[in-house]
Amino acid sequence: MRALIAAEIYKLLRQGKTYFALAAIFLIEGVILISAYYQGSNIIDILLDNLKQSFYFEGNLLNGNLLIYLILNTLWFHVPLILMIIISGILTSEYKDGTIQTVMLQPVSKWKFLLSKYIVAIIFTLIVVFFLALTSFGLSYSIFGFGDLIVYLDTLNFFSSSEAFYRLSWSFASGAVSMVFFSIVSLTLAVIFKEATKTWIIAAFFLILSNLLLKVDFGNYWVNRLFFVKLNDTWQYLFYTEIDWSGIYWNNLLLIIYSMIFIAFGLYLFNKKDIG
Amino acid sequence: MIIAGNDLSKSYRSVKVLNKVNISCSAGEICGLLGSNGAGKTTLFKILCGLVSPDNGTIEINSKGPKPIGAIIEKPALYDYLNAYQNLKIFGKIQGAQIDDNSLVECLVKVGLPLDRKDPVGNFSMGMKQRLGIAIALLNDPACLVLDEPFSGLDPLGIASLRKLILDLAEKEKMAILLSSHIIDELSKVSTTLYVISNGKIVESGPTQRIINENTDTYTFCASNISSSKVLGKYTTVIKGNCASVQITQEKVPELIQELFNEEIYITSCTPELNMEKLFELSAK
Repeated sequence: MRALIAAEIYKLLRQGKTYFALAAIFLIEGVILISAYYQGSNIIDILLDNLKQSFYFEGNLLNGNLLIYLILNTLWFHVPLILMIIISGILTSEYKDGTIQTVMLQPVSKWKFLLSKYIVAIIFTLIVVFFLALTSFGLSYSIFGFGDLIVYLDTLNFFSSSEAFYRLSWSFASGAVSMVFFSIVSLTLAVIFKEATKTWIIAAFFLILSNLLLKVDFGNYWVNRLFFVKLNDTWQYLFYTEIDWSGIYWNNLLLIIYSMIFIAFGLYLFNKKDIG
Repeated sequence: MIIAGNDLSKSYRSVKVLNKVNISCSAGEICGLLGSNGAGKTTLFKILCGLVSPDNGTIEINSKGPKPIGAIIEKPALYDYLNAYQNLKIFGKIQGAQIDDNSLVECLVKVGLPLDRKDPVGNFSMGMKQRLGIAIALLNDPACLVLDEPFSGLDPLGIASLRKLILDLAEKEKMAILLSSHIIDELSKVSTTLYVISNGKIVESGPTQRIINENTDTYTFCASNISSSKVLGKYTTVIKGNCASVQITQEKVPELIQELFNEEIYITSCTPELNMEKLFELSAK
């Protein structure tokens, strides 16, 4: 199993498309930082003109914490979409090139082969989110400095600089669980659809639908509480004045359980299906 | 017997792709599977290799090694972004084969791949990919090698060297080799036993030469001045360029060659033309 995982990591790192996708994620981060550097101050001033007359804000509001929060918001769509493309590609490319057949012609267990891909998908996703967090903290603080964080969630919430750092860090951690969920779903979709374009379209559709349904009230407490689409904004819970830690633990636990269900379903399908 | 498929059947929706197929191959034996496109050759091989489950029938494999069968089905599918050595290494790694660097180099040499090619296999010719595919199939010493259309897409030199490799593996390493083709010429040169498949049924099986003899009523003779022959007038003959297709029985072939020699027509090749229609007619019965 360890050899399979090592082989999967090796293959992922040897493919040019992996680096293109990673470059895309960090390019988005760069664009956010550059835009903020040249235009951000004006926008913040317009938005907060009235508030500034009533409140005292310590430091510049266009600061590292706000930029990290803006980068964090790429977890809504940009980051999971790119992750889904990369992760589903680790299986669809094997179908396209026929290498899955060559692998299955070796004495390799089907479920171990796919499980190793799921494990690599999880590791890769966590590393990407970790580096996204690391670079966003590093670049944002070094370019824009420290200061209070202002976030609009139902109402305007203000956090001191040290409080903001704490909340942003945990938000990335919680967001990583959500990203892992989307990565796992994309790999399961690749098991079902096999072909790259179909898988990408369905994965993008899944992501959009999840984001849309997040705002829908299903009129039933348990559906609203347990349905996976309702769990993907947990990383935003960190930006309410009072942090609902039990809600965060519960939602992330549920997302992990959903991820495991998707893995089990993918393994079952893959084992059942003929190759070729 | 190393590998055997007994009463194998497979349908895709309403289409019966295989119908009670029996096939077997022993150590050191080269079994050819002859059939036109869509006859069921690839499906049969996929079933034998465990890629596809049969609807009915059983597969017997008499090998206690970690890898009973090595195979290439349809085409040698490789990681195009890796070089030959890296491909071999990664396929060795995923199956847990204890292979050191020297053994990997030996594998490449065994199949006749140049060691100085360090570029990705995406740049390789089909022949080189085929060789690398065989090297991967041979990892972990399988007792049986299954090759689906191994000669397609190869140039004459590639075909000749692959043929030599297959013959060596059967003769020297006593490997059971199953290979398919729709080209009888290639199968006749390597296989000792021939299975003929048509519409998902084995319509003929037995020693290759016997099947060829029984189903050949035309031979093609080539010589530079063959069109000047008078002897050929005794037979139903079609002359095209330097070759003549002659309807003749196998027993009469040596006599005709002698007669042509007497006419100072020196034959450079004599190829039996298998009557595929006659052979496949059996499936309709």
